[in-house]
Amino acid sequence: MAAPTTLRRELLPLARILGGISHLKPRSLTVCSGHRKCSVTWSHLPLTPSTSFHTAVFLSSTPSAITVTEEPDTLFQKVLVSVKGHDSTVLDSYEFFATMAAKELGITIGKVFEPPKDIERMTLLKSVHIFKKHRVQYEMRTHYRCIELSHITGSTAKVYLEYIQRNLPEGVAMEVKKTAMEKVPAHILKPLWEDVPTEDKPSQ
Amino acid sequence: MESTAKKRRCSFNKDWETTYHWVKPVQGDSQRVFCEVCQSSFSVSHGAPERSGREFGSRKPRREEGEPRTEKMPLDQDWTAVYPAATPFRAGSVPLPVRMGYPMKGGVPPEKKGNLELIKIPNFLHLTPAAIKKHCEALKPFCTEWPSALDTDAKCDEHFPIKVECTDYVSSGLSVRNPSARIVQLKVKLSILNLDDHARKKMLKLVGERYCKDTDVLTITTDSCPLRQQNYDYAQYLLTVLYHESWKTEAWEAEKTVADMEEYSWEGSPSQKNIMDMLLRMKVAGEGEGEEVQEQLLARSEVQEYKDSVTRLKNEGDNESSVLQYKEAVKKVFNL
Repeated sequence: MAAPTTLRRELLPLARILGGISHLKPRSLTVCSGHRKCSVTWSHLPLTPSTSFHTAVFLSSTPSAITVTEEPDTLFQKVLVSVKGHDSTVLDSYEFFATMAAKELGITIGKVFEPPKDIERMTLLKSVHIFKKHRVQYEMRTHYRCIELSHITGSTAKVYLEYIQRNLPEGVAMEVKKTAMEKVPAHILKPLWEDVPTEDKPSQ
Repeated sequence: MESTAKKRRCSFNKDWETTYHWVKPVQGDSQRVFCEVCQSSFSVSHGAPERSGREFGSRKPRREEGEPRTEKMPLDQDWTAVYPAATPFRAGSVPLPVRMGYPMKGGVPPEKKGNLELIKIPNFLHLTPAAIKKHCEALKPFCTEWPSALDTDAKCDEHFPIKVECTDYVSSGLSVRNPSARIVQLKVKLSILNLDDHARKKMLKLVGERYCKDTDVLTITTDSCPLRQQNYDYAQYLLTVLYHESWKTEAWEAEKTVADMEEYSWEGSPSQKNIMDMLLRMKVAGEGEGEEVQEQLLARSEVQEYKDSVTRLKNEGDNESSVLQYKEAVKKVFNL
């Protein structure tokens, strides 16, 4: 009889480890020495997701506090991470990074596969006015890569996904499909009106 | 010399050396002068170097660029310190002879110094295996172990039969949010739920297309609420309501006709009447009329076989084996 006793671990310190939620732009020349948060903000950037967040991954010497709550951890039977981008070599490198990170964190990798690419082609007029016979053709290629992880707990999933998403390269988008497993809720185990079959107004 | 004569190109004039101290003649080319301030030469064929007065004293001499950092890098350096975060490619910091670009005729791809292609493409120099290991070491304390007793999918399904599926989206754009992220899909096998025959049939009627017969899975997809939490709560509510409603027997359910039935049942059907009439007329059972004869006939094995074959044919459809079975049963009943 399996009873999941894994408790959820809070992730707040993760942000500190990975440099925090900052509105930084990458400074190309300097290396942040020791301080992870540079106080310079270039402009008021909207808080776009990880694609523009490249934070320094300096490990602090002070250990971050791990809080363990009493709430039971969610269990994910399957987590499907699929990335898509215009350049397949970038996706190759990202796949290497994601699979290696999963191995290091002890996550079982189900399968890694490459769905076929989509090519969107369009034929447009070359000139602004008239010249209908002269056209120009464009195409946009979208490459995909899918990594399937199985049997992963909620805390581990949070850690792994945040790490992966913070290091998502520019021009790459990600979709994460999580399948959580749950027990049958207590109020569905037995019908309500076994004793009173002709009740009109049901209560939940 | 503005005149009707042809315009001529100006050339170096000795007087300029006295007026502008930063001017020096260039050997071999009388059309150019050398500016000592910015250490470069420029053409004076269009006139005296007054136009370049902006260079006088306003620009510092360009300092020499030193040796690139790559020359001074030891072989056993800590690469994670060189590229700790995602930064564009710096030719002077990466000690690799990388080349990128289209090779022109008879040439090679251009070198890394000043190569825009290398700067444009996202690089993973900050995510080398050493760096990944370091990061994962730091992240390990936040991870929890999967319970070892749930190692197979079958065990997971047995103890945790309800599957809730939701999707997260990460992409760059004007907004972080994606409205498709609110959709929640709840899947459960009906065999897990505590349903009796009537409740199961009623549930199937209530649910309609959301049930898949082959896999016995009921899928409830909710997207009517704006937040995922709300949609999840709604899906749970729907499941609860379906369950409890299917156990209830309403007064109007007594009006269920043959057309509403999900499965074919032989008792009371025209097929039963026909075969009974046929057998009576053939006088198979011998003498005696009424109920006893009927029961005797029914108890016969051939009639039972016929009943099974007809039920199978109606429920499963016309496949080879069911038609053959019907044929055999008919032959037996009529002793052909």
